[in-house]
Amino acid sequence: MSRIARKFRKWTVDALDLPGDLVFELPRLTLIGGKQLLIENHRGVLHFSEERLSLALSEGGLEVTGKDLVIKTIVPQEVMVEGYISEIKYRGTGEKP
Amino acid sequence: MKEPAFSFLRGSVTVVIRGGDLEQLINRLGEQGIGVWEIKPLPDRRMELSLMVGDFFALRPLLKQTSCRVHVKKRRGFPFLLSRLLQRKWFAVGLLLFFLMIAAMSSLVWDVEVEGNVKIPTEDIKLAAKQEGLFPFQWKFKLSEQDKLSKNLARKLEGVSWVGVTIHGTKATIEVVEATKPKEQKLASPRNLISKSDAVITYIYAERGYPQVTKNDRVKKGTILISGVQGGRSVVSKGEVKGLVWHEYEIEAPLVKKENVLTGDKKKKGYLYFGNTAIQITGYGSVRFEQTVTYTETDPLTWRKWKLPIGWMSEAVMEKTQIEVSQTPQQAKNSGLAQARRDILAKNGADSVIKEEKILHEKTENGKVYMKVLFEVEQNIAEEVPIVQDQGE
Repeated sequence: MSRIARKFRKWTVDALDLPGDLVFELPRLTLIGGKQLLIENHRGVLHFSEERLSLALSEGGLEVTGKDLVIKTIVPQEVMVEGYISEIKYRGTGEKP
Repeated sequence: MKEPAFSFLRGSVTVVIRGGDLEQLINRLGEQGIGVWEIKPLPDRRMELSLMVGDFFALRPLLKQTSCRVHVKKRRGFPFLLSRLLQRKWFAVGLLLFFLMIAAMSSLVWDVEVEGNVKIPTEDIKLAAKQEGLFPFQWKFKLSEQDKLSKNLARKLEGVSWVGVTIHGTKATIEVVEATKPKEQKLASPRNLISKSDAVITYIYAERGYPQVTKNDRVKKGTILISGVQGGRSVVSKGEVKGLVWHEYEIEAPLVKKENVLTGDKKKKGYLYFGNTAIQITGYGSVRFEQTVTYTETDPLTWRKWKLPIGWMSEAVMEKTQIEVSQTPQQAKNSGLAQARRDILAKNGADSVIKEEKILHEKTENGKVYMKVLFEVEQNIAEEVPIVQDQGE
């Protein structure tokens, strides 16, 4: 994204009060208890085992730790994880969108 | 992706994948749009996942790219069930036989029904249909075309103006419209028309036969009016003869008339009935009335046009009482005369006309009016009498 386009988008988001996940394709996480986690706008699975799921995001990554993790469904933009989720680690690059 | 709908019908497999780059495979599956669900990691870099049978073959190239190996763990769904069942030879034969039998049974005519016939017996129509090849347990494909069939049937059956054949499923219906035939005339033996009683002829019309009398003739009872002997031959004489006849009536009319009237008091009873059995629901208790008339009304349950043998029956028990109505001699006379007139019409035919009535004698005695009345009636006086041939002396 060019700088001008990015700026224009940011202005639109601020001015119109739009949710950032729609416009910037920022990841959106929906956690239901410690059982189910829906991650939208991910960029692929990096590691997957029973204890740990590591996902790439548009910026940075996400690490989910727990027990008996199962990927319920997976489509290009969405992952649904089920199991006993104990920890979610978000690694942003610190770069401003 | 969630487990899709009808996955049982379409069939799904659970596979175990080992070796290679599992994460890369998951990403690729997502990119390719292959629907997988329940991805479960197993120890030793293995992974279990489920997918539809159709997608299984699309999985192959991805496995090659990521150098994974696959092992089918579980098969689920109807296609697998079917293939397993079909491996049993006799089961397959039975299944085939079942469908064949259904097909065969439904291509038979099971029932031939005849509609619309009144005079022609159903058996005759069925026999004619049988000769045309339409009978129970006949193959439907052996039947000739329906229009040809109905044409042939119409030709074969006597006294029909139209025949229609329709086949609904396994039931053939022959619809018949009977031709209306002219009324058959009854055979009659040669006869004369003679007079029923003493009369004066007012009208004579001979359709067949030879008239023996003319208008205004006086005839005695038994006189031949229209002769059946015409030119030496005997014919069935036919015609209409009217004459004036006198009837004498002795009438008694009571001055006090007894009449049954309803008092207006009534008791209602309700019954639920099934067939011929009725169970009383409402209106228990004894009826206090001395004389009663009972009116019954049934209201059956109906479904479409059919009346069911179940319903509600209501009964009204009305109190009845007798009252005596006294009438004047004039009223009694009138009612007596009216009764006599009705009697004349009943005895001599409804086309009789009372020309005149004369009261010859009248007296009131013992609460009754006694009258002697002479009625002059114009009525049909012809009576048929067969001509008896001389048997030879």
